[in-house]
Amino acid sequence: MQKNRYLPLSLIAAGILSACSTVPPQNATLSDARSSYNSARSNPQVTKLAPLELKEAGETLDKADAALTKGETETTVNQLAYLAKQKVAIAEETARRKNAELEVASSSAKRDQVRLEARTAEADAAKQRAEIAQQTADQRAQALAVASAQSQRDQTLIAARLAELEEAKKQAAIAQQASDEQAAALTEARIQAERDQALINARMAEVEEARQQATLAQQAADQRAAALAEANAKAERAQALIAQQEMQLKELNAKKTDRGMVITLGDVLFNVNKAALSSGGIANVKKLAEFLQKYPQRNVVIEGHTDSQGSDSYNQALSERRAEAVQKTLVEMGISRDRIATRGYGESTPVANNETAAGRQLNRRVEIVLPDAVPDAQR
Amino acid sequence: MIKTSRQMKDAVRTLSVAAAALGLMAGCASTPAPTEQMALSRAALDTALSAGGNEYAPLQLQAAMNKMDAAEKALAKEDYAEARKLAEQAEVDAKLASAMARSAKAQKASEAVQDDIRVLRQEIDRNAK
Repeated sequence: MQKNRYLPLSLIAAGILSACSTVPPQNATLSDARSSYNSARSNPQVTKLAPLELKEAGETLDKADAALTKGETETTVNQLAYLAKQKVAIAEETARRKNAELEVASSSAKRDQVRLEARTAEADAAKQRAEIAQQTADQRAQALAVASAQSQRDQTLIAARLAELEEAKKQAAIAQQASDEQAAALTEARIQAERDQALINARMAEVEEARQQATLAQQAADQRAAALAEANAKAERAQALIAQQEMQLKELNAKKTDRGMVITLGDVLFNVNKAALSSGGIANVKKLAEFLQKYPQRNVVIEGHTDSQGSDSYNQALSERRAEAVQKTLVEMGISRDRIATRGYGESTPVANNETAAGRQLNRRVEIVLPDAVPDAQR
Repeated sequence: MIKTSRQMKDAVRTLSVAAAALGLMAGCASTPAPTEQMALSRAALDTALSAGGNEYAPLQLQAAMNKMDAAEKALAKEDYAEARKLAEQAEVDAKLASAMARSAKAQKASEAVQDDIRVLRQEIDRNAK
């Protein structure tokens, strides 16, 4: 550039010195330009990629040559030569640019190819990594399996320990139960003891009561003994009374029968076929009246009987009348009629054979029955 | 490589002086104003700037700008021949700057792709291990 700046100046100086003089057939600038042009034309890159630019440079160079040949001013020749030289440079630069652009195009394709390779390599690497991961996973799985087996063994051990524990717990429970049972037994024994105590107390109370009762019984027995003694005394008295009565009854010719004492007033004591008592009969009745007055609690039943001679109705009536006659006699002697019952049996109850006279006499009778009175001294 | 403003001023001044001398001493041919050429040159400069010439072809861009400035000044002095000549130079310089910038970008892109490939290959190698 520095050179360029002073170049025009020197040219101008030359121009001034040889103004409008004839042009020398040689020009340094033009020679430079031609040399550059020839160099560019021999470069196949320039002829191929920048033919237009090169052609333009060539035309300008031709003009410069023509100007030199025509003898035009050096300034003009120099100008054209400079232009030609610059155009050669432009052509070269253009060729270089196009070459670079072509390179870009081809390199891009190449880059895509490489990129593809890179992707493939990446994929391969990923695959490899996956395989490694798979291996690692397999190893881990194996390790896990081992660990799992270990864990299972541990689990079994734990289960065994648990079973032992359970067993121990069970035994403890059994021991507890035994202890509970013993406690229960103790409690029961205590309760039993209490119950026994209560029973003893009850028995003692019973014994006490029994003793009291025994005392009472003793008293009662004493009383009964006293009563018995009194009763015995009474019985003795009654016996004495009965004996006395029986003795008196014996005087009346009373006979002891099932119905009581029976006094028979024989036929002879009555007038024949009459109801009235004979004097002998009245004497007997008088003894009876005295007995009855002496023992007012005793009553009598008077029964009349006949033999079989005569009609039944006659005999019945006769038996009734005779019984009533005795009753009347007793009433006259002061005995209450209430105490004297009368009945007529006619010939229905014989005591002897009616075929003979003696038997018939025995059958004609009045029986005075004294029912067995309770020999009660208190009455 | 970027020049200071002072250096640029010096250059402009040198060129201006040369142009003026040329105009005065060799007024051999009178030419019309290079309006069209100026427009073309300006467009080429704009393109070079937007293509990243500042970054990838600073020398060429700088030259083009300097020549463009000089062309403007020559135009203002109605030195049309000088203005055309400088404008033409500025145009090709700017176009060269554009071409260089584009080329550099393309190469960069290519290198990036190559880098990608390399990185991928490394990845593959690493994954393969």
